[in-house]
Amino acid sequence: MKIVLGMASLGLWLAVIPLCVGYLPAVLAGEGRRVRPVYWWLSGHVILWALFEWICVPLILTEDMGEEHFSPVVICFAAAGLLLALSGACLCLRGLRRGAWSPALIRGGLSGNRMGGSASTCFFWILAAGLILFQLVMAIVMTYWDGDDAYYIAVANLAEASGTMYKKVPYSYGMTLLDNRHGLAPFPIWIAFLARVSGMPVAAVAHTALPPVLIGMTYGIFYEIGSILFAGRRERLPIFLGFTALLVIFGDVSIYTAENFMIARSRQGKAALGSIVIPMVILLFLRILERRREERHPGAALWLLLAAAVTAGCLCSTMGTFLMCLFLGILGLCGAVSYRSFGLLWRTALCCLPALFFAGLYFAIG
Amino acid sequence: MEITMWDTIVSLFRGYMGTGLLMIWFLAALVYLFFREKDKNKRILFVYAPALTLLLFWNPLFAKFVYTYVGDEIYYRILWLLPVTIVTAYLAARLCGALAGGRRLLLAGACAALVMLSGSCIYKNPFFHRAENLYHMPQAVVEICDAIEVEGREVMAAFPGEMLQFVRQYSPVVCMPYGREALVPQWRLGNPLFDIMCTDPIDVEALAALAKQNLCHYVIILQGRPMTGSMEDYDYVLFGTYCGYDVYLDTTVYRGL
Repeated sequence: MKIVLGMASLGLWLAVIPLCVGYLPAVLAGEGRRVRPVYWWLSGHVILWALFEWICVPLILTEDMGEEHFSPVVICFAAAGLLLALSGACLCLRGLRRGAWSPALIRGGLSGNRMGGSASTCFFWILAAGLILFQLVMAIVMTYWDGDDAYYIAVANLAEASGTMYKKVPYSYGMTLLDNRHGLAPFPIWIAFLARVSGMPVAAVAHTALPPVLIGMTYGIFYEIGSILFAGRRERLPIFLGFTALLVIFGDVSIYTAENFMIARSRQGKAALGSIVIPMVILLFLRILERRREERHPGAALWLLLAAAVTAGCLCSTMGTFLMCLFLGILGLCGAVSYRSFGLLWRTALCCLPALFFAGLYFAIG
Repeated sequence: MEITMWDTIVSLFRGYMGTGLLMIWFLAALVYLFFREKDKNKRILFVYAPALTLLLFWNPLFAKFVYTYVGDEIYYRILWLLPVTIVTAYLAARLCGALAGGRRLLLAGACAALVMLSGSCIYKNPFFHRAENLYHMPQAVVEICDAIEVEGREVMAAFPGEMLQFVRQYSPVVCMPYGREALVPQWRLGNPLFDIMCTDPIDVEALAALAKQNLCHYVIILQGRPMTGSMEDYDYVLFGTYCGYDVYLDTTVYRGL
């Protein structure tokens, strides 16, 4: 019974709540009808990760020896997440009543994907789905023993058990001072949060429950990117997805590739940075550019979502602050030069502010 | 001979791309898209941005700046900004999609074979194992930690090297006098007790003395490891045997029971 309740709670925090939260930017950007629930789900996760970073980091930094700030993190984040999810659910129900979207729209979208026409398209859909499903199953039945887990998962375990964050030595025993490099990127504390609200052991959450969800998010992003790339030629989408799955499976050319991190170390923040946050930034920037081409304003919601993705990058890894600024700088510059639009550049620069703030914090507290 | 920043970048890039074939297909895709892609947005994301990223990565001045202010071990992560998977898959789908029927299947099969031959299957990586339990930990770690945990307090135990990285992931109340840091040679954080645990045969007298000095309640030793004597001669009793590991309890240390 405890396991069933734990799984239900994890389902709530990893599927339902992000889905509801992600409806908010979609409807604020006036995209309620134009985007699929998978996009709501991805956006919701990004917003929740950003929210977690803003709640958790101040509480980590202000935690003195003898204090236990993990429970306040859990309470504040749970309250804020539930509030956002309720707002999203209410807007979603209102949209249903007013016909802004309907389940039929989702069914229509899915059947449209399936049909694409020929038997070969159907074959490619089955192949792509099979390859992705294979990876999700392998994430549960296989395990990759990575030495860095001895730090990250132990930090999560100790936070959940003791209530203090980054104050206990994860490798052996005893107390320690806050390590700023890790404390500013508290992805392990998010795992501890999931363990606390689900009542499941941290190791089971990190190694068994999370990897399929995080790998699923990457393919959700690939699906969304593919849907834009092949908007007029949907029959190419399953081929694209199939090749992304194949390139990931055969991407173990070295231990440094994002594909290796995605499959082998999915529960670590740096893996989420490389395989979720960076592709999400590509997806969001693609949406921004598509809107720019249609000469429609991308809207504040889309830019805020990009800023949330940047903040999510900071949650995943301290290196994320630098990589996000660099990436947005490159994308903003290329976009601005191509469209001869200064607006694109300064709006992209504004999205870097959260990363600059956390980078400044890192150097300030030294 | 002095290693220049350029040498470091070359070595990092080599290390990142492994055999290099997948990276070559990606670079070939970039060149192809540069000449054939007409869509402005795709050119921005799949040609200009990756090209600029590569230019920055290969710039020794930029590398020096990153090494100084961000860190040297993670410079390779700039390469994560290259959408290798997305661009390669996009080109494959674009080329295959331009054909119809059997020719499409044939080209897709050829491209898939190329990827499989160029890359390396991650599930063949020697670090991948079949999960033994829900925690993805070695079953021995789970059983030993469950057996030695004492409710309401922490216990100290000396584990063999192969278990160090798992113990604190599974149990927050099982402490160790040395941890994973003892295994990483670059960190140079050796531990005398760990050194004794690694010797062959194990010097039991020294082991017992150092374990007591570190306030260890338990010492865990792989069954059958050659030892110079018996742990029972130094106030230890065999607490139990779990998955082929003997767990010795120090009868002189207070466990709080």
